[in-house]
Amino acid sequence: MTHRPRSAGPPAGVLTGLRILDLSDQKGALAGKLLAGLGADVILVEPPGGGPMRSLPPFWQGAPAADRSVFFWFYSTGKRGITLDIRRPEGAALLHRLAAKADVVIESELPGRLEVLGCSAEALRARNPRLIVASITPFGQRGPYRDWRASDTVAQALGGMLYVNGHRSRPPLRSLGLQAYHQAGVFAAIGVVSALLARETTGRGQEIDVSLQAAVASALEHVPGFWHQAGIVHARQGTLHWTRYFRVGRCRDGYVMHCTIGDWTSLIEWMKADGMEADLDDPGLDDLKTRQAGADRLFAALDAWAERYTVAELVGGAQLRRIPYAAVRPPEALLDDPHLAERGFFVPIEHPALGQSVPYPGAPFRLGDAPWRVARPPGLGEHNAEVYGELLAMLPPEGLV
Amino acid sequence: MRPLDGVRVLDFTWVVAGPVTTRILADLGAEVIKVERRGSIDFGERRGGLSGTLMRGKRSVVIDLNDPRGLDLARHLATVSDVVIDNFSARVMTNLGLDYDALAALTPDIICVRMTGFGLTGPDRDHVSYGPTLQALTGYTLLMAEPGGPPAGFSYSYSDLAGGNLGALAVLAALWHRRRTGRGQLVDLAQLEAVASLVGPVLLARAIDGGVSTPTGNASQEAPGAPHGVYPCAGDDRWIAITVFTDADWDGFVEAIGRPAWTRDERFATGASRLRHAAELDQLVAIWTRGQRAEEAMAVLQRARVAAGLVANAEDLCAHDPQLAARGHFVDVSTPEGRTVRIDGPPFLLSETPARVSGPGPLLGEHTDEVLSRILGRSEGEIRALREAGVVG
Repeated sequence: MTHRPRSAGPPAGVLTGLRILDLSDQKGALAGKLLAGLGADVILVEPPGGGPMRSLPPFWQGAPAADRSVFFWFYSTGKRGITLDIRRPEGAALLHRLAAKADVVIESELPGRLEVLGCSAEALRARNPRLIVASITPFGQRGPYRDWRASDTVAQALGGMLYVNGHRSRPPLRSLGLQAYHQAGVFAAIGVVSALLARETTGRGQEIDVSLQAAVASALEHVPGFWHQAGIVHARQGTLHWTRYFRVGRCRDGYVMHCTIGDWTSLIEWMKADGMEADLDDPGLDDLKTRQAGADRLFAALDAWAERYTVAELVGGAQLRRIPYAAVRPPEALLDDPHLAERGFFVPIEHPALGQSVPYPGAPFRLGDAPWRVARPPGLGEHNAEVYGELLAMLPPEGLV
Repeated sequence: MRPLDGVRVLDFTWVVAGPVTTRILADLGAEVIKVERRGSIDFGERRGGLSGTLMRGKRSVVIDLNDPRGLDLARHLATVSDVVIDNFSARVMTNLGLDYDALAALTPDIICVRMTGFGLTGPDRDHVSYGPTLQALTGYTLLMAEPGGPPAGFSYSYSDLAGGNLGALAVLAALWHRRRTGRGQLVDLAQLEAVASLVGPVLLARAIDGGVSTPTGNASQEAPGAPHGVYPCAGDDRWIAITVFTDADWDGFVEAIGRPAWTRDERFATGASRLRHAAELDQLVAIWTRGQRAEEAMAVLQRARVAAGLVANAEDLCAHDPQLAARGHFVDVSTPEGRTVRIDGPPFLLSETPARVSGPGPLLGEHTDEVLSRILGRSEGEIRALREAGVVG
């Protein structure tokens, strides 16, 4: 996975040659980032003053300033950037002309908003029947909540994710990261590539309707299944996993994730060698269901034992025995993880304006026959001359950019 | 028609992450053949429920991969498949001789997707993992907490869903690549990297500033705003999420809750001052919400254009949510036994070639005979002999 500057010629990404107009804000920004990673030419279309993500924290060096939103940078890797005022009729007309040259449009306006501007999916597709339009909205394009609002946290709430996270005696807790937006972005990208494959057969594009709420509901594990199967309402229970085979415990120097579903025999042998097996040396516990039912007693004994070790000692010893233990650590630990370093997960990107190279989190997966592209996010309107020239053989339209 | 009509997926995945990938492929029209063994982890009832939702629309064949004859059947199935996918730890498929190099020697344009915990390279490649341990390593467990509070992250394997959904994107990308170039490839999906890629801007911020992340409870991770959080409602364990970002949001909020005097307090006059006094604001908001039913508070706030939503539990989500119902998110599927099971459908709606649930979860080995005869051309007698020898089930 190497970062090649655009001037070296396009690397042969999977989606190289496909052009995507990305009108979306943070709700759908991950979709364009993923498709750009796969090699598509993703053109971020922002209003002349900059899109909403540019004013979101965190900021480089802490101070809000133009072109310094780390939030914007994260979601905009690999995209080109143009400005266009689509709220004015001349701008909307230009959007039509750009969309006529595109394979995909991604947007996240509330349902009906683009229609008011004369730029509905239907209108754009009337001019370019091969066009694929992916819309990411809080609740989808139809239904009783169609016009309702959602933030990431509200989508997590109505999608069923919030209720099952947090400690039992405390309020429900939202996730680290905007996971409602992220799931919607992943599903939008799935929809886009699916629609591209379908277009090979039908010759026509189509519309993709992604709902934040439904995306969250599709990123739950046990919640809907056990309701439908047995009417069970799973509640939040701290870090105790619903299967009751995992729970956070404490070592001498930090937290560890216990696991009672690995090589149980080896785990008990190890505890016995330390004289710390308590009442766990019980053949009945060889059965998974018994360990599930006895989780409280198991984790109490494991906690008492874990206090003798550092996190590194316990995790190292467990992995040697093929027991899936792990350190409970902050996200920044990933930056120093030798495993990720060897795999080159973080990709350094030069930010000339900052005089600094920044290691960006990289590919979610590696395709053996095509590189993943992580390139510097665009400055506001950075590619106006290039894009308007390439697509419409015109100079950036004055008064609209 | 569906986008993956005619695509065959040989599916060695188990537990959750891999099955999440292949259920999306099945929804998109692929023929997914799930190779299983007896005595594996299961989640009970297979037609519906959690298992049915994970295995919807797939075929199940039982093959003993420890028997050379079974391995031969699996290899033969791979040669007539487009995609071979597993989520074992790295060495398993190699030890079985079902890794990419071995299969590509037989079928040059094969797509192999390896959804390991840590990837096929790197010092930790043989480490073992489950969703909860990957969430711990990537910061979710620790950072999902109240300020200064103990870890409270995820009571479920979000990592499996996140990695699984990204896995479907990987397969689609590889299929597109093959359609364009004629070439197959090896996809190395390390679930650790998949979930790490979704941590978001905070990880990039740490890469830049070298600082330390601390938990922020339910505070906004997008635009700064207050009130922003989860508030108690009338009833047992009923909650509402309310998120106010702009002055217009605040005006709508104030109007919706009936303009109590405290909303005119100068501490809450501007966005910046509301943020400074977020803790006091949260307490005052909670006084209002405690007297409200979550459903009604949500409707009142949404009418005022405030992003608010009840914190849906399983029953709210599956039995009472009118929006998911209108979208047809949960679908009733008939089983061969004449029962009906309700399971999740795909969350993305394609207008022309929609993905849809192809059928209920299969029983263990339900399609062994069918797959062996239709796809591998084995005779009834051969299949009987293999079954008697315990090679298939």
